[in-house]
Amino acid sequence: MAEETLGFQYSTLQQERETVTLGMWAFLATEVLFFGALIAAYFSYRIWFGAEFIAAAKMTKVALGTANTAVLLTSSACMAMAVTTHEAGSRRAPVLWLTATALLGLSFVVIKGTEWFLEYQEHLVPALNFDLARHGGVAEIFFIFYFCATGLHALHLLIGICLVCWLAFAIGTGRLKPGSTTRLIGLYWHFVDIVWIFLFPLIYLAGRNG
Amino acid sequence: MSAGTICRCWLALLILLALTTGSAFIPLGTANLFVSLGIAVTKALIVLLFFMELKTSSALVRVFAAAGFFWLMIMIALTTADYTHRTDQRVPLDQVR
Amino acid sequence: MHAPRSQNYLNATVGIRSWLLTTDHKRIALLYFAGITFFFLIGGIAATLIRLELITPQPDLGSPDFYNRLFTMHGIIMVWFFLIPSIPTTMGNFMIPLMIGARDLAFPRLNLLSWYLYIAGGLITIAALLLGGVDTGWTFYEPYSTFYATGYLILAVFGIFVAGFSSILTGLNFIVTVHKLRAPGMTWYRLPVFVWSTYATSLILVLATPVLAMTLLMLLAERVLHVGIFSPQLGGDPLLFQHMFWFYSHPAVYIMILPSMGVISEVVPCFSGKPLFGYYFVVWCSIAIAAIGFLVWGHHMFVAGMSLYASLAFSFLSYLVAVPSAIKVFNWVATMHEGWIRFDAPMLYAFGFIGLFTIGGLTGLMLAALAVDVHVTDTYFVVAHFHYIMVGGAVMGFFAGLHYWWPKISGRLYPDYWARFAAILAFFGFNLTFFPQFILGYLGMPRRYQSYPPEFQIWNVLSSAGASILAVGYALPLFYLAWSILKGPRASADPWGATGLEWTTSSPPPTENFPKIPTVIRPPYQYDQGVPCVQSKDG
Repeated sequence: MAEETLGFQYSTLQQERETVTLGMWAFLATEVLFFGALIAAYFSYRIWFGAEFIAAAKMTKVALGTANTAVLLTSSACMAMAVTTHEAGSRRAPVLWLTATALLGLSFVVIKGTEWFLEYQEHLVPALNFDLARHGGVAEIFFIFYFCATGLHALHLLIGICLVCWLAFAIGTGRLKPGSTTRLIGLYWHFVDIVWIFLFPLIYLAGRNG
Repeated sequence: MSAGTICRCWLALLILLALTTGSAFIPLGTANLFVSLGIAVTKALIVLLFFMELKTSSALVRVFAAAGFFWLMIMIALTTADYTHRTDQRVPLDQVR
Repeated sequence: MHAPRSQNYLNATVGIRSWLLTTDHKRIALLYFAGITFFFLIGGIAATLIRLELITPQPDLGSPDFYNRLFTMHGIIMVWFFLIPSIPTTMGNFMIPLMIGARDLAFPRLNLLSWYLYIAGGLITIAALLLGGVDTGWTFYEPYSTFYATGYLILAVFGIFVAGFSSILTGLNFIVTVHKLRAPGMTWYRLPVFVWSTYATSLILVLATPVLAMTLLMLLAERVLHVGIFSPQLGGDPLLFQHMFWFYSHPAVYIMILPSMGVISEVVPCFSGKPLFGYYFVVWCSIAIAAIGFLVWGHHMFVAGMSLYASLAFSFLSYLVAVPSAIKVFNWVATMHEGWIRFDAPMLYAFGFIGLFTIGGLTGLMLAALAVDVHVTDTYFVVAHFHYIMVGGAVMGFFAGLHYWWPKISGRLYPDYWARFAAILAFFGFNLTFFPQFILGYLGMPRRYQSYPPEFQIWNVLSSAGASILAVGYALPLFYLAWSILKGPRASADPWGATGLEWTTSSPPPTENFPKIPTVIRPPYQYDQGVPCVQSKDG
């Protein structure tokens, strides 16, 4: 493996490693507030509209949502294995784990797409075919949140899948320069998982009883 | 981060997932929201502390990680403070349209 | 015969590519200087047309719709493309690595990307304005902006959205740089206050701007897809938009003022020949302003329909946020007390800042009182208040920093008397422009109105007259600073006798900032009877 080269603005490798880690965490903090703003709006409407808003959540597909959550949690475990095996010095193992991560990520997107398709068939897509007379305006606002949140999450996931695929290729062909790249992409992937961990109960689990 | 730790975390996460989905179907009133959010926080902590290695990171990294969530809490708290104290009458939606 | 010029960051490499593809923080700072000067000009032209229009009570310069587009353009350009980037991207970029003893920021290529995002966002917004503009006011309140406004809202909002990422990345870069790239011996409590202020500003940039990004996305979703998120006719709450918008936009005003406060904290000790009074108070007040600034956004919504309980909470918190600002003012004044005061241009701008910021801040407290706010909200009282802070405060601070660090950045000295004249002219012009607006607001003239009752005319005429003087005060530096580059005497490393690390390297600095990374042995602002003791070992 090639020697890790030092950026001119750093004095030690350790300093560079710590700096890029802080940089990634700072970036993730901005993402917390980005998605968080949407969640704050969600909570505001959940309080203001009350029962009607919560009832609208019943129309989401909890079985598919739960399956998807399991898929994403597993992909995080695979990503963690990729980081661990890469830091241990292996080349083949991380590529396999990264491939698993990407495949699970793609499965998530496919399941999500299925959900969206089903919702389209049930006339639940605002701006396209939402059945206002049948479901009401509050449900429409709920579904606007639903599509915004899951859409933005899916976009972040797709970016993550591209990064993971590139990483697998770079490690496999020996092109990856030694450094923190794998760990940093891992942080991003886990973060996308955390966003979903919070979106899941807010979207799928409200109004399931009573 | 050993393979054993990762495996244990993964199992814990799946168990928590089963718990959270299961508890949603039990009528607990407003407690449902707090249970599901509490489980979500626990899952997130497992991912943060173990998968994202916060358990073995420096204090500075942990402050950076906490900052975003802390600020988000401020936003949610003060915004919802308005909505929980509104006294105006909301016009039923079918009269608005 | 001239001696051969030494290599510095300006002449190290030549050609347009070496500038447009640079990763040198000093060159990127100059790229930003060009950008913000351009946008300041555009915003200033809009302001000129507004003040011309308001000389008479009747409409003169076009329809009310044209006037709406004019003040919207003024607000959008000045807030997002001038004030928010102004000091951090120019002086912050240039000085932070020098002040902490580093060779560059933590992520130099990210820095360049920030500039391109800024320019892209700016061009997109300019395109929107050239095509016909937006008439919603810079605050884009719903449902007017999404359902009723004509104009190029989507394009303008998208431009701001893109520029927002520039802000986020710059803030991220500064935070990580200050944490990890300080020179040996440069502890946190040895950092100049400008670094602390920029750090506090960067906290806001990183934590508030993403909320704006989401708010603008939701606004665009509503406009493009015709779905009602905030629109009452579809069941939404317009106030939710205001909550989300102001959660960013109030901290944004602290993004605009904190760097200026940092500049003043540099200028006042230097031109008083004394250490900064109460260093620990000043630095922690910067952090306090940033933190408490996140808790007060509801004071923009007192009459909008927010619950009374929330209004009370926000009113109380708004009083609280004034305390750290006031503490800083006391510390600056105490610094000057029994000092060796020099009245160079940077110090004159600093004097102006302290006085005008105090007036702006006090009127802010008036607005924080619920009963008063109900009376003067959406009048010229508010307009005068924020212009005292933004122009009398932030812009004066910008000019103070520009004049203070000009010799370091350009390697040249500007003509002193012209600079002092411009500072004094700007001060008088500013007060004549904006003080009458307090009276106008108190008497009841609403903001954003093209025509007004004739009894308000006298104050409007005074205000417009002041604006013409202020314009000259702002235009003058363009001329004498340009002259200084061509014909000004060359500056030494430390022409002002200041103590920071940036003054230990040549003017202009070499590309790598320091021949050798300095070791810091003492806190900043150490003066011995007015004589500076620089922070590093060899000083």
